[in-house]
Amino acid sequence: MIPLPAYKFGLIFRLVEPGDAGFILSLRTNARLSRHLSPTEDNLEVQRKWINNYKEREAKGTEYYFLYSDKDNRPIGVFRVYNITKDSLTSGSWLSNPSEDALIAAKTDLFLIELIFEELKVSKCFIDVRKDNKKMIRYHNMFFKRLAEDEQNIYFFMDREGYLRKHHFLSEILSPTK
Amino acid sequence: MNLETFVQEFAEQFDEMPADSFSGSTQFKNNEEWSSMTALLIIAMVDQNYGVKLTGDDVRKSTTIADIYHIVHTKAMS
Repeated sequence: MIPLPAYKFGLIFRLVEPGDAGFILSLRTNARLSRHLSPTEDNLEVQRKWINNYKEREAKGTEYYFLYSDKDNRPIGVFRVYNITKDSLTSGSWLSNPSEDALIAAKTDLFLIELIFEELKVSKCFIDVRKDNKKMIRYHNMFFKRLAEDEQNIYFFMDREGYLRKHHFLSEILSPTK
Repeated sequence: MNLETFVQEFAEQFDEMPADSFSGSTQFKNNEEWSSMTALLIIAMVDQNYGVKLTGDDVRKSTTIADIYHIVHTKAMS
């Protein structure tokens, strides 16, 4: 695992701690931000317990829940990788407060895919997206391959070829070469 | 390349606003649906449809859809 906290793109990335329960709850109970995620009980103690349970999975190396902040340590958002095996993992739970930085999504996604394919060194990243989350479906269609769908979700995966194309796309936005 | 088509393509990246409510003078960052994910999708649309790479600075310094259009037009011509 990379040394944490990690400082990249003017952001600070670190693992979630029980003390972040209030911030995460504020994201997950924000009707606009979380409308495409599974519902969360608006209960701070339940959220804290969930994080404590997560820390056990983190210790086993099967799940990592990240929080990212601006340079002044103001928390902005979270994302999670879980079901980590030697070959694959699932990515999800991405939530971000509105930010004046129009490139927050590009920065966090570049950090995330480098973590997945270069640090955790898996060959496949799975993701599931609610069918009504049209923006994310358009975005994932660019680099992921569709696996299946059901009534509620579309299931995608990205392999190393998709990762390299996405890495180039995001890097060009953040650090244009011409 | 023309502004009317570009505005239409730009508007298609917004899911909650009717496309005919957009024009060249629309200040897109004031739209409630504007987010860094929308920014990514617009950058991708411009790359795919016009072969032009928009940068973070291009988005940052733009206020209206016409501002973005002029940047894309200039880059496409160079």
